[in-house]
Amino acid sequence: MIYAKSRFWPDDRQNEILSGLAAYINRVRATKTLDRERVIRALDALGRRVAAGEFDGRIAALAAGEKAERYRAMAVRCLSRAYVEDRVRRELCMAEEPADAPIRVELRPLGTLFHIAAGNMDGLPALSVAEGLVTGNFNILKLPRADDGLTMEILSALCAEEPDIGDFVAVFDTPSSDVDAMLKMASLSDGIVFWGGEEAERATRAMAPPGAKLIEWGHRLGFAYVSGDWHSGAFREDFEGLAEHIASTGQLLCSSAQVVYLDTASMEEAEDFAAYFLPMLEAASSRHPASDMGEAAIRSVRASVSRLEAAVRRAEAGGAEGDRIRLEGRGCAVTVCRDCALELSPLYGSILVKRLPEKHLLPVLRRSAGVLQTAGLIAEPQERGRLTELLLRAGVNRVTRAAHMSDLFPGEAHDGEYPLRRYMRAVNIER
Amino acid sequence: MGAREKLFRWRDPYDTEGTEALFVAAMRENAAYAWARCPEYRAILDDQGFSPEDLQSPEDLARLPFLPTAFLKAHRLFSMPRSRMLIRAASSGTSGAGHSEIGLECGALAAGARMVVKAASARHILSPVPCHYVIFGYPPRGTDAAAAKTAFGYTFLAPALSRTYAIRKTEAGYRPELDGAIRALERHEKSPFPTRLMGFPAYVYFTLKRMEEQGIALRLPAGSSVMLGGGWKQHWRERVDKGEMYALIRRTLSIPEELVMESYGAAEHPILYCDCTAHRFHVPVYSRVIIRDPVTLEPLPMGKAGLVNLLTPMIFATPVLSVLTDDFGVLHPGGDCPCGKKSPWLEIIGRTGMGEIRTCAAGAEGLLSGLTAEGGIS
Repeated sequence: MIYAKSRFWPDDRQNEILSGLAAYINRVRATKTLDRERVIRALDALGRRVAAGEFDGRIAALAAGEKAERYRAMAVRCLSRAYVEDRVRRELCMAEEPADAPIRVELRPLGTLFHIAAGNMDGLPALSVAEGLVTGNFNILKLPRADDGLTMEILSALCAEEPDIGDFVAVFDTPSSDVDAMLKMASLSDGIVFWGGEEAERATRAMAPPGAKLIEWGHRLGFAYVSGDWHSGAFREDFEGLAEHIASTGQLLCSSAQVVYLDTASMEEAEDFAAYFLPMLEAASSRHPASDMGEAAIRSVRASVSRLEAAVRRAEAGGAEGDRIRLEGRGCAVTVCRDCALELSPLYGSILVKRLPEKHLLPVLRRSAGVLQTAGLIAEPQERGRLTELLLRAGVNRVTRAAHMSDLFPGEAHDGEYPLRRYMRAVNIER
Repeated sequence: MGAREKLFRWRDPYDTEGTEALFVAAMRENAAYAWARCPEYRAILDDQGFSPEDLQSPEDLARLPFLPTAFLKAHRLFSMPRSRMLIRAASSGTSGAGHSEIGLECGALAAGARMVVKAASARHILSPVPCHYVIFGYPPRGTDAAAAKTAFGYTFLAPALSRTYAIRKTEAGYRPELDGAIRALERHEKSPFPTRLMGFPAYVYFTLKRMEEQGIALRLPAGSSVMLGGGWKQHWRERVDKGEMYALIRRTLSIPEELVMESYGAAEHPILYCDCTAHRFHVPVYSRVIIRDPVTLEPLPMGKAGLVNLLTPMIFATPVLSVLTDDFGVLHPGGDCPCGKKSPWLEIIGRTGMGEIRTCAAGAEGLLSGLTAEGGIS
């Protein structure tokens, strides 16, 4: 399904629509202005409909129980007028200029944004377009492969709230392998917003027209940092929160914990911690079973791969435990590692435990500078300030409590950037 | 003569019942070889307390440790020096999780050749009549994807007058050139020799759909055929019902359903599963199928859906005796198929999306090794 020119079209009209899109976009951009107030009003109205339960069926298809509640609350909050206005204020504020300055500086839309959205977070493609609309851009969206109609539903509901928005949106359900269509969409854009790793970046660079701004939201890794006397039981609630976070996100998000770092040099202590943490992780995992046969298979096959790898490693270490000791739980695992590198865990409730004494924190994490995102900090209250500062100096962009690593906070920046700001340019006008 | 050779020389390629003992013997022979020469494989068997000698009856096959394709994509396992491998083939890697590399030694290739000839003659694919090939894939190069090599290999089943490829590999990725394929088909309509279309079903489907939109209906020479293989890959969402595909082929190319064949296989299990005239994938003697529970990975009885575990003693160079694929399938009992083949048949019902795990964290690791700075999400 294609959505363009304020209506739906069948996929087989794609080439025809794409060939007329340049003229259409030029006409819209030359003659129309997307009023930010109207966009905010439409987002807010949509948020109220979500709050009233109109989309509960949709949400139920994504998640159940308490998770569904969380999804709904998050959608309602992100769409609310107060939230969007707060973002605009924070992200797009400009310094006051003296009235007699010879040049006036204003923020204007980049022009046309081409969004190549990721499918790892439900609602993300629609959110990306909403950001493009708030900043007044024309938005071309290529849906991710895993999209199941949710994005179209959100965007068409938004256009129904405010018909002007429909003029500024074109959504295509094109596979990335359709190179001609992708090139065509890219050729119309002033900025390409994309998610993904090196490969996505290479492919995007290859198709970007010269001068187009590449706005990348790449892959990141999160971790928990534990400092202080964890044996005492004082941190128990934090650890339970961490276990819940690991199980509920499946460790699939950039903000998810992949590694638990302990502020210690002792391997023995790391092993003790793994044994202490495993039952908590087991309890949390039992609250988050696989949602379908596919996910169940992915989880069990990944666990099987980890077991095979452990066997090979043990053999290489001459029968000793080797560099990694894997404690197997029901539907989860805790692996103690001898090294201290930040790395991706086997996912789905399989956490790595590593040693990282405070004095080594900065030099070790600096090696992963480009991919650091969230640190969930577990420490005594009086230590938090100092450790937070150290984590930020190492390059971490987000420090939260361990239970809140993947929570969304109002007004927060994104990987060290304000997204709305990236979708605009500063123009100079001589008075 | 070793058990493998006997198995691959077996007269009836679908006599799975008659080859039970021989299959187990060939697996035992192969497992012992891999255990002695591939340290990683030995570690895995030892870890699970399994000895190659434990393979004594067909029931023992399910206990032989299996290697998930995800493991083979992350680890290259070989039981022979590379110099003894005549061919190295890679899996397609379309899932984004890297690809596995499978080496084939001389004996495996000889066994494979016998298998292809047997399976092909069952469907009358082996022919002395020359033909034109239109391949919905790309030309093979170097250690290329097995699918490309297989498609190229199949163009020798009948002498080739011409080969037209519908996909080109470019800097920006795979680039379909469907219009070029349509023009080739139009040219071949006038030829006295038949045309064979082969390759990924998605591209065949897109091409024929385009022909239909343009009002093109060809009457390809008698004996022309279609061989579909390699699965729908990243186009699984557009996957169409088999009946719809056959009807489209008949409308646009005038090729009857009985001349449309589909094959199933994987780089990690290079056994040719050729569908029968009732379009079922019967298990050939060279292979066995175990369906496993997606949660416990324990074997399931016939008729139940689960993960497809494929077993073969074909290759000695790489220990791919028992491979757990990303496919979901059902194994149906044989005996009642209108085609007359007696062996059980495998129905593929979907993929786990193993390599499509919806994560943004997974991609970050690749960056860590390259130490490239990037943005992030969520």
